[in-house]
Amino acid sequence: MDASRGNDVLPESATAEEGVKTESGGGDSSARRITAMLIAPGTIWMLLFLVVPMLMMVYVSFWTQKTFSIEPTLTVKSWVAFFSSETYFAALLRTIKIWLIVLATTFALGYPTALFIGLFIKNKTVQTIVLVLCVVPFWTSFLIRVLAWRPMLGKEGAVNIVLEKLGLIAEPIEVLLFTEFSVVVGMTQIYVVFMVGPIAFMLSRIDPSLIEAARDLGAGTWRIFRTIIFPLSLPGVVVGAIFVSVMVLGEFATSAALSGRKVNLLGNIIVTQVGSLKWAFAAVAGVILTAVMAIVVAVLLRFVDLRKEL
Amino acid sequence: MENRPFLRSALAFYTALFIGFLYAPFVVLGILSFQAGPEGGPQFPITEWSTYWYEHIFGLTPPSRIAPLPIGEAMIRSLTLAFMTMVTSTVLGTMTAQAFRRRFKGSGFVFYLVVLGMIVPGVLVGLGLALVANNLGISRAWWGTAYVAHVLYTFPFAFLVMLAIFNRFDRSVEEAAWSLGVTPMRTFRKVTFPLIFPGVLSSMLFAFTLSYDEFPRTLFAAGADLTLPLAIYGTFSVEIHPNIFAFGVLTTLFSFSILAVYGILMSLSVRRAKKAAIQEDIQ
Repeated sequence: MDASRGNDVLPESATAEEGVKTESGGGDSSARRITAMLIAPGTIWMLLFLVVPMLMMVYVSFWTQKTFSIEPTLTVKSWVAFFSSETYFAALLRTIKIWLIVLATTFALGYPTALFIGLFIKNKTVQTIVLVLCVVPFWTSFLIRVLAWRPMLGKEGAVNIVLEKLGLIAEPIEVLLFTEFSVVVGMTQIYVVFMVGPIAFMLSRIDPSLIEAARDLGAGTWRIFRTIIFPLSLPGVVVGAIFVSVMVLGEFATSAALSGRKVNLLGNIIVTQVGSLKWAFAAVAGVILTAVMAIVVAVLLRFVDLRKEL
Repeated sequence: MENRPFLRSALAFYTALFIGFLYAPFVVLGILSFQAGPEGGPQFPITEWSTYWYEHIFGLTPPSRIAPLPIGEAMIRSLTLAFMTMVTSTVLGTMTAQAFRRRFKGSGFVFYLVVLGMIVPGVLVGLGLALVANNLGISRAWWGTAYVAHVLYTFPFAFLVMLAIFNRFDRSVEEAAWSLGVTPMRTFRKVTFPLIFPGVLSSMLFAFTLSYDEFPRTLFAAGADLTLPLAIYGTFSVEIHPNIFAFGVLTTLFSFSILAVYGILMSLSVRRAKKAAIQEDIQ
């Protein structure tokens, strides 16, 4: 890397006085032109179709909302309406609540599996197979995955039938489906793999001799876990938490399909507002969602340098 | 840690349960897709085993009060869109990652700008694009705004995959070819491409499957003609029937066959690479 950097700098000074292109002297400027040409399409695509629309969203959130249209007269009315409305503010709080719960469940359910895959399976092939087994559901249709929970959790669903057969319950439990519970279960199943992967990856990189040394020095299993294994797996936990957070915070399909539209998250607010052509209002909810996400990701990134870990 | 037999088996048992948790809904969905029709509902018990709902999807059953799933044209649109997205994002990802092989000013900015595409929630991407399109008077369409949104999502995946591939291989191989007077185009075809082929294949797999299944970005960006996930989502709001379960089974099988093709191509390329390495050793 350093050698190529040296090469980059040298010819520049050689050709600085003359713009004449020679075989040897053109190396740097033509290399730079090639780099520019290579990054231009991707960069322009992202700027034009992602950054500009996001800025547009911020801008439109200050437009005036008419019944079925918006006008570019600046106002904070939509913002005031959002924060003074019980329903919308509650949606913000509910989004944060569901996010925290799903973060906790994906971590609690995912960590032991990651521990087993990353630390206990020594054979690389077996390790890959088990990891692939966990990832395969991710390749199936997102909506079908969500929908599959309906016959599982419903009043006449599989869970209730099994529990009744086992004699654990006399009456079917009704609160399993179309509640916050079903939303959390559905999201956990979909996103837990993003927690397992990074943690297992970090765990598999731990040098076994480190654990051996600790054991030779008389440390117990719990102590080894607490002082060596867990701290070394933390970057994986943070990366997993970032993945889960950005996906859960922007969710609306799971909550719409599994709560019978009773659990409204910020994403659901956006969808309903767009449905009734309240673009300015949807934009306000969008900006708030962006802000929440930016804060969450920024806080999580304080714990880990993403580019270093990848 | 591995010499703790109890802990080991406890964790192995837990992992088995965990995988059960991941797969159970699919198993239940698969079973219920064989419900009797057209009276059988989307729940237990199975009144009678039948393939009625599979026939229903393909329009092979006599007309009943349950409308067939509106998936025919949506499927073609989704496949076309996934193909377009796959080609575009693999090309963009390879180009951008190729640029990252040398250091350049602003590389940090470009890196995060690209990665942003997979971080920003789909609903916001769709909303933003819809707002821009509306204001410019561009009508939204699956082959326009939705296509743009899909590439925003899959291009970062292709970029990261290609970045990992380029990081791994030695550029002196290419330099050797150049110094021997091989043209850059031929070098790319004969040297670079075989080396990066596994990455290209993975990028294509990511892009195709993510696009084919993409829902939140498409919702506001697709306009009047629906893609497959949008058509499926539309059926959620009305009463659901086992035909959607049968469709779930079929689409899952489709995803798995794409994975299988990917696996076969991948192992073929690995085997060829190994063979080449052995030949080099002999020589």
